[in-house]
Amino acid sequence: MPANKKYLTKSPWIRLCRILLGTLGGYTVMISFHVLLTALFPPENVIATAFFTGYLLWAFLLFWAFLEPKLWRLALTYIGLTLLFSLPYIINH
Amino acid sequence: MDQRKYNIYFHTHTISGIVIAALLYVIFFAGSFSFFKDDIAAWQKGKSLSNVDAPVDFNYVLDSLGTKYNLQGRNFDFYLLRQGHGTYVNMSVSQDTTISKPEPKTEKSKGRKRRGEKNEDSAYFLHSFVDKTQSSYDEGYDMGEFLYRLHFLAPLNQIPIRLGTPFGYLLAGIVSFLFLFALITGLFLHWDKIKNNFFLFRPWSKWKTVWTDMHTVLGVIGFPFQLIFAITGVVLIVNYVLISPFSKFIYNGDQDKLYQELQYNRTMAPTYSYKPLAKKLDVNAFVNQWMNEWPESDISRLYIRNFGDKSMEIALETKPKPSANFAGSGYISMKAIDGKPTSVKSPKTDATYVDWVKSLVYHLHFGDFGGRTLRIVYFVLGLLGCVVIISGIMIWLVAREKPNIPAYKRKFNFWAANLFISMSLGMLPVTAFTFIVIKLSATVNQSFIYSLYFYSWLVMIIYLLILRDLTKVNKHTLILSTILCLAVPIVNGIATNLWIWNTFQAKSYDILFIDMLFITMSILSAFAFFKVKKQAKSFKILK
Repeated sequence: MPANKKYLTKSPWIRLCRILLGTLGGYTVMISFHVLLTALFPPENVIATAFFTGYLLWAFLLFWAFLEPKLWRLALTYIGLTLLFSLPYIINH
Repeated sequence: MDQRKYNIYFHTHTISGIVIAALLYVIFFAGSFSFFKDDIAAWQKGKSLSNVDAPVDFNYVLDSLGTKYNLQGRNFDFYLLRQGHGTYVNMSVSQDTTISKPEPKTEKSKGRKRRGEKNEDSAYFLHSFVDKTQSSYDEGYDMGEFLYRLHFLAPLNQIPIRLGTPFGYLLAGIVSFLFLFALITGLFLHWDKIKNNFFLFRPWSKWKTVWTDMHTVLGVIGFPFQLIFAITGVVLIVNYVLISPFSKFIYNGDQDKLYQELQYNRTMAPTYSYKPLAKKLDVNAFVNQWMNEWPESDISRLYIRNFGDKSMEIALETKPKPSANFAGSGYISMKAIDGKPTSVKSPKTDATYVDWVKSLVYHLHFGDFGGRTLRIVYFVLGLLGCVVIISGIMIWLVAREKPNIPAYKRKFNFWAANLFISMSLGMLPVTAFTFIVIKLSATVNQSFIYSLYFYSWLVMIIYLLILRDLTKVNKHTLILSTILCLAVPIVNGIATNLWIWNTFQAKSYDILFIDMLFITMSILSAFAFFKVKKQAKSFKILK
């Protein structure tokens, strides 16, 4: 039994959007989150921790791109979170 | 259960899984064998390392190089093999421009140097401390190295697609990340049934149930193991994806500084003085002094800069034995002129947080912290991963074998699955076949192994594809595996007289182990073959 199609994204373009948003958005959120952590902890330790947490977080964020029903909310969340996490960095530089 | 979410879990798991299935199988299969890389090397060369003591002797390497080259002003890097019985040696051209002939800068030499590539005045080779022989990378190449490098798809680097990194490595990284994604979606998909179905296995049910049970039960049991491999796999092969933005944002683009803080490399760039060093430095004495200081550790690397010049520097990197310290790294650098250490980091006491994380990645992926027993456990878990992949492909296929699905789609699905299964199941007989032919051949080097393995694999795949019947593919590969795996120890005995009873008596346990491994696989294949022959309910697709 393949997955029931009525619950899946029908348009291939929207599906492509989701994949790209999840990949790129997930990546920027993940990186900015760890950059934020470098303000609190020694950077080399944060980067080393990201070896594990970074890829896991990224994969989860990509996963979420398929679960969120509204595309605009997905895009806004990625952008919003990235900006929010980067705030200290943007202010400092 | 939320129907929408459930179906999304289902679909994302299916797609990410089927896309990477074939390559992931190659990675798991070759990777599982790579746990025995050193044993395979010993088996192939017929030289056991289980009971030989090979003291490291850097002076010998330098002296013998000195008879062929003028060593003045050169840099040396020694990369020691894991068991310490040999070392890769990289010798640069001299810093002294009166000795080194300035090379015309070509476009190619600017890029990173490929493995084994050299110009006339530098050298890169493998030196064995056991019999003090030297061989080029190509000559020293063995099946252990081949399977190890196949498991991160290094042979695909030949494909000239350059996206900042060799194509094979990039592909292996993407597969590994998608594997992580498939693991997460699979866990969500199966979450509600994890407890109830933990031991659920219904081998007498119809095929699809058998495959589903195999996939979910072994998937759940192997989940922690596979998750570790998905993550550490990405880290080990394409970690620059994660690191480069940090070097840009935190280190202002100074990538070297970041790599130094993560202890991937350490700068040693003394300025060449053009004044010869009065007294020759005894490299062995330096190494032995520090290895006595840190008895519970192994040498991993040795660096020499500006050999024979007053600015000469030497540095030693060590790793603690996992039994003594799980994490840590030792480092000592010294100026040759005064013999005083410039930087010391003990592998025993100075472990940093970064050391901890890196050791975790390294030990968990290589399974080198619990001796052979642990490697066998890792090997079995790795092969269970292969089983999960194969059963996944089968579920994918039969779930789409329905009357309401158009014939052209079913045809495509069948051929895709047929290709994946033939590729995957063909690997064991092809590997055993390569082991056999290698034993019967006079010279074995990289290109020989490449053509032998890949052409026989290709022939195997074509043969299995034209059977056009997955039951037959299974039976034929099982019987071929039985015969060929059994032939491995026999051919080894005939060709080198290293029969299992001889290697047992000589305590050559590494060679014995590989023979026993193949005998075990032969027995298991035979067992599976007879089971399939007797009990298998046949199933037909597209017929």
